[in-house]
Amino acid sequence: MKARARAIWRLLAVQAAWTYERMSGIGAGHAAAPLLAEAHAPTAAIARSATFFNSHPYLAGVVVGATVRAERDEVAGEVVLRLRAALSGPLGAIGDQLVWAGEVPALMGLTLVLSLWLGWWSVVLALVIHNVLRLRLTIWSLDVGLRDGLGVGAALQRSWLPRAAAIAQRAAGFLVGLAIPVVGWRLLRNAPLPTITVTVIVAVLGAALSLAVATRTRATGLRLGLMLMGAAVLAAGVMP
Amino acid sequence: MLAPLTLTELVVWGVVVGVDFVTMPQALLSRPLVAATVAGWLAGNIESGLVAGITLELYALDVLPIGASWYPEYGVAAVAGGTAAALVAPALAPGVAGLVALPLALLGGWSILQLRRRNALALARRMERVSAGDSSALGELQHGGMLRDMARALIVAVIGIAVALVVATVPWETRTHAVWLSYAAVAGGLAAAFGGAVRSAGMGSRRHWLAAGLVTGLAVAFLQ
Repeated sequence: MKARARAIWRLLAVQAAWTYERMSGIGAGHAAAPLLAEAHAPTAAIARSATFFNSHPYLAGVVVGATVRAERDEVAGEVVLRLRAALSGPLGAIGDQLVWAGEVPALMGLTLVLSLWLGWWSVVLALVIHNVLRLRLTIWSLDVGLRDGLGVGAALQRSWLPRAAAIAQRAAGFLVGLAIPVVGWRLLRNAPLPTITVTVIVAVLGAALSLAVATRTRATGLRLGLMLMGAAVLAAGVMP
Repeated sequence: MLAPLTLTELVVWGVVVGVDFVTMPQALLSRPLVAATVAGWLAGNIESGLVAGITLELYALDVLPIGASWYPEYGVAAVAGGTAAALVAPALAPGVAGLVALPLALLGGWSILQLRRRNALALARRMERVSAGDSSALGELQHGGMLRDMARALIVAVIGIAVALVVATVPWETRTHAVWLSYAAVAGGLAAAFGGAVRSAGMGSRRHWLAAGLVTGLAVAFLQ
């Protein structure tokens, strides 16, 4: 397998050895190793490639590519380390905006709505769409890093990434908003009207608790769910 | 009850889902909508699995799985929830899925913290080699991390599916108010998804998009 293909394969598991100390650093170093070996880089370059690093996993290829390019160009080691540190925050932020707060909730919102008509085929469709996008993003991020090296920060700013992150977040807002009433209707449509009313009131109160300044840190979605389930188990057990 | 082969398939699916969430390939297999639907299919009732997945996905929409923060793991939990949902009457599917999966999501989140600590110990043992630029040490750490994650997911999956089987044997049909479990799971999920959506939307134009989505969604629901 060629070094670039091995690096892409390894980027799919960039968080496998995630620790609080180095975060994704070991995974990034593991992904960079075939490219560094191909470039006959010194062992010090491999050691540098595995130092502390954190970013969104789908965009880790940017730093892997950029540092490999810098090592190939025989840039000073301190500069390579500064490049890694400088890329960490922005890559994490833009990746989270693009994927975790953008594409994934948007796609899940769309799938929740489409499941009404397509059933489980909507799940298959979501998997295909996400993984095509994910693979393309991983490959693109490695290639942009390898191409631009030390200039990768400016290349990212000029790229489609910031615009796509903004669009993905808007899409997420709309599609999750669309999904909530549709899913509520789907799951409650066979219930009597008073039950639907009570369920919606409880949901609105729960959401208000999770958003109110005084309670938002404690009233997470999971805790609300656990409390409601506990109350329902009690009711089902106690009442005839 | 399920055949041993089906139980094995469900456990294997649980491991795949758990590893997908933490290690590789992070391909969305660990979203509850996917994990529970496939679990329902394996357990012989894909429709109930899908309904379980829809319910649990509402909770997962409240979570941003970012870096070092702690978050519940809904993937393996949804496999167990989807299994339980497939074994009960359709009206109880959301409730039983929530009953099994929500506590298990806490266990899954805790197990990820333990995994990270084990990874740190493995790194400490190889620190000298890593600092010297030994690429084989990096490979050992990566492969070790994957194996530990597989073991973690296996333990959570076995516990979850065992709990699912126990919950499915409860004679829910004899309890008049058992369906309240489903309403509770749905109410909690709607609250979680709405709260998460408002928080993610922040104060900018995204709130307008969220509001537009809600209005459109209400219109679609009324037209159905």
